[in-house]
Amino acid sequence: MSSRVCRTCGGADIDVDQARGSAVCTGCGSVLEDNIIVSEVQFVEGSGGVSSAVGQFVSAEGPVKAPLLGSGFHTSVGKESRAQTLQGGKRHIQQLGSQLQLNQHCLDTAFNFFKMVVSKHLTRGRKMEHVIAACLYLVCRTEGTPHMLLDLSDLLQVNIYILGKTFLLLARELCINAPAIDPCLYIPRFAHMLDFGGKTHEVSMTALRLVQRMKRDWMHTGRRPSGLCGAALLVAARMHKFRRTVKDVISVVKVCQTTLRKRLTEFEDTPTSQLTIDEFMRVDLEQECDPPSFTAAQHKVKMQQLEQELVRKLDEVEGEISCYKDEIETELEKSRPKLRGIYAAYSKEIGVLSSTSEPEEPEVGDAELQAATQHLTQNFLCQVIQEEEGRDKKTEAGPEKESLGPLSGEEVSDSYCESLCLCAQYILNEQEVQVKTELWMKQNEEYLKEQEEKEERIKKEKEQGTYKEKKKKRMTKGEQVEALTAGEAIEKMLEKKKISSKINYDVLRDLNRGGKGGSGPDPPNTLTHKPLTRRRRNKTSEANDLAANAKNSVTMTTQTTTTDTTAPPPEPEPISAPTLAPPTVEEEEEEEVEDECVSALQLVGDYGCEAEEEEVF
Amino acid sequence: MDSSNDEALDIIITNVVATFRTRCHLNLRTIALEGINVIYKPDMGKVLMKLRKPKITASIWSSGKIICTGATSEDDAKVGARRLARTLQKLGFKVRFSAFKVVNVLAVCSMPFAIRLIDFTKKNRPIASYEPELHPAATYRIKHIKATIQVFSTGSITVTGPNVQNVASAVEQVYPLLFECQKPRCK
Repeated sequence: MSSRVCRTCGGADIDVDQARGSAVCTGCGSVLEDNIIVSEVQFVEGSGGVSSAVGQFVSAEGPVKAPLLGSGFHTSVGKESRAQTLQGGKRHIQQLGSQLQLNQHCLDTAFNFFKMVVSKHLTRGRKMEHVIAACLYLVCRTEGTPHMLLDLSDLLQVNIYILGKTFLLLARELCINAPAIDPCLYIPRFAHMLDFGGKTHEVSMTALRLVQRMKRDWMHTGRRPSGLCGAALLVAARMHKFRRTVKDVISVVKVCQTTLRKRLTEFEDTPTSQLTIDEFMRVDLEQECDPPSFTAAQHKVKMQQLEQELVRKLDEVEGEISCYKDEIETELEKSRPKLRGIYAAYSKEIGVLSSTSEPEEPEVGDAELQAATQHLTQNFLCQVIQEEEGRDKKTEAGPEKESLGPLSGEEVSDSYCESLCLCAQYILNEQEVQVKTELWMKQNEEYLKEQEEKEERIKKEKEQGTYKEKKKKRMTKGEQVEALTAGEAIEKMLEKKKISSKINYDVLRDLNRGGKGGSGPDPPNTLTHKPLTRRRRNKTSEANDLAANAKNSVTMTTQTTTTDTTAPPPEPEPISAPTLAPPTVEEEEEEEVEDECVSALQLVGDYGCEAEEEEVF
Repeated sequence: MDSSNDEALDIIITNVVATFRTRCHLNLRTIALEGINVIYKPDMGKVLMKLRKPKITASIWSSGKIICTGATSEDDAKVGARRLARTLQKLGFKVRFSAFKVVNVLAVCSMPFAIRLIDFTKKNRPIASYEPELHPAATYRIKHIKATIQVFSTGSITVTGPNVQNVASAVEQVYPLLFECQKPRCK
């Protein structure tokens, strides 16, 4: 440009003044350019002396349409759905990210993840909040920031497991391998929150050593990293003579007291806990421990073994004791003074009485046995009767029970009878049914009342004529429409299922009708004005089809004034063209290129897909 | 059922879930009033019936679809389902036992060694995933058998799959991977 070399003197030293917008040669002083276009911010004074910047905000992405709607219009009107989604997502990410104090680089990465998610259609059926939180957490994990999923769920007040589910799914779909969480990452953050003053760094280092020791002792697998950090920090604080209670620590670390205590006891069990503070800082024990649940299981096994041994020993001991007992008794008898005369007779009677009491028990036992046998026989009789009944029923309902009857060759004889009996057990007799009915009615009174009220209401409304049948959540497939030909069926289906709002169904319908048999001039006159604007980029196969069918394309002017002569000639052409291509449209206003020779299946399939593709551009 | 070890690994099946249809409409109220061991849930629109002999809990819907859970083997599930169908038949419904299918099998297995989960996850990305914040076990999903294995650091694993065969093959598949990442016993 002319600012390089001066025209008059040939000097290359040119001074460009942005403020004045002029370029002047410093050699000869000639003005080379005046009114240079300047890209500085300009200010305008508004009413009341308020100065505001001149200009409009233009989004970084999106269609490059010139905003014709005057200045100050920040919200975009008429933008595509996909752009709106992305814009909204960006806004949410910025909002949430600033609350988490993430830097701009992380937020940009998160937005990139979000764009990938949207392009893979993973936002469908999921709340935007969850998806955005998952994207942000993904960034936190890949960057290694000390943010926990718990923080995100705190901010959003959403259950952490729901967020976790979304996060896992996105990570899997986007093939992003997030590195495993290291508890060491969280220590500085928690130490800062616990407020150790100048010694924060030292306490953090001690806590780090503790955590590393815990890792080697297998306390950290399968556990939340925040719990370990809490325990480590508590111990480190005490080592450096800071008073931090369990409550302080759990409020920062967000685990419960029990967890913290458990971690501390586990650590206590390791040999490292026996070292003094100085020893710990200097020495690192070689020996590693088994994980605590392992040791717990081994402990259990040991206890069981001990119990078994104890039982055995008890048996032995009992045996010994009974021996001693017998010996003592015999000795006592010998040493007792023997009764003579009348007293001997009495003692015999007592002996007889005591002996008679024994047979009574067997008698009583017999009585019980008899009762039991009676009961059993009754049962057996019942079962036999039922079996017979069952067999009768079987013969009656034989043809109906085809699938049940011949169970499988083996099952028939034994288990059939057995299961019949068992089944009979599952059914109550009449008395029991009555009792149960009463009970159930009483229990479910409320529910029954509600049902009755509902019915009454419906009756009244029916009488009044204002009855609206509330369709339950069932998706009614609709009435079966009778159609004479496949073409009619397609039309009617398309009418009902307005799958896409951008397709001019009337035109398609007419084309189909025209393609069928040249049904006269009427259809073309009913064409409407709506121009079809749809851009396709993704479906390469269809693009190929397009290219192939470029020659067979039909130009249709959908703006009225279609005469009879012009209409019919284009119509027979679609019939002749045998290839199947989806209707595609270029973005011209007047001319519209459509491929109309579409099979029914493709139409349906395409519209199914096109509904998705609407957002693609 | 082991692949490279002399000792045999015990795979214990703890739960089998199966569905079948009775091909007729069932009146839940009748079942609720005339059956023993029956719980009626009108808000959910189903009846829970528990059998004792093969220990099974069945959810019965009025459309005639029934889900049986709690069986300890596939055969048990089938016997229980048939028994259930017969009970319903005795209650007076025109039951036709059809479309019996075992939907899910849950089995538990215990390895004789502890497992380093982080190592295991690193070696088997992206099939394995481990989130200590969410669940203490690493999840390993085998897509072509449609089996999911949850690996715990103590060495016990739970396997879920569509049938017992798949579960067994899943255990055989995963055993060598676990063997690599085992933690040597110190004591």
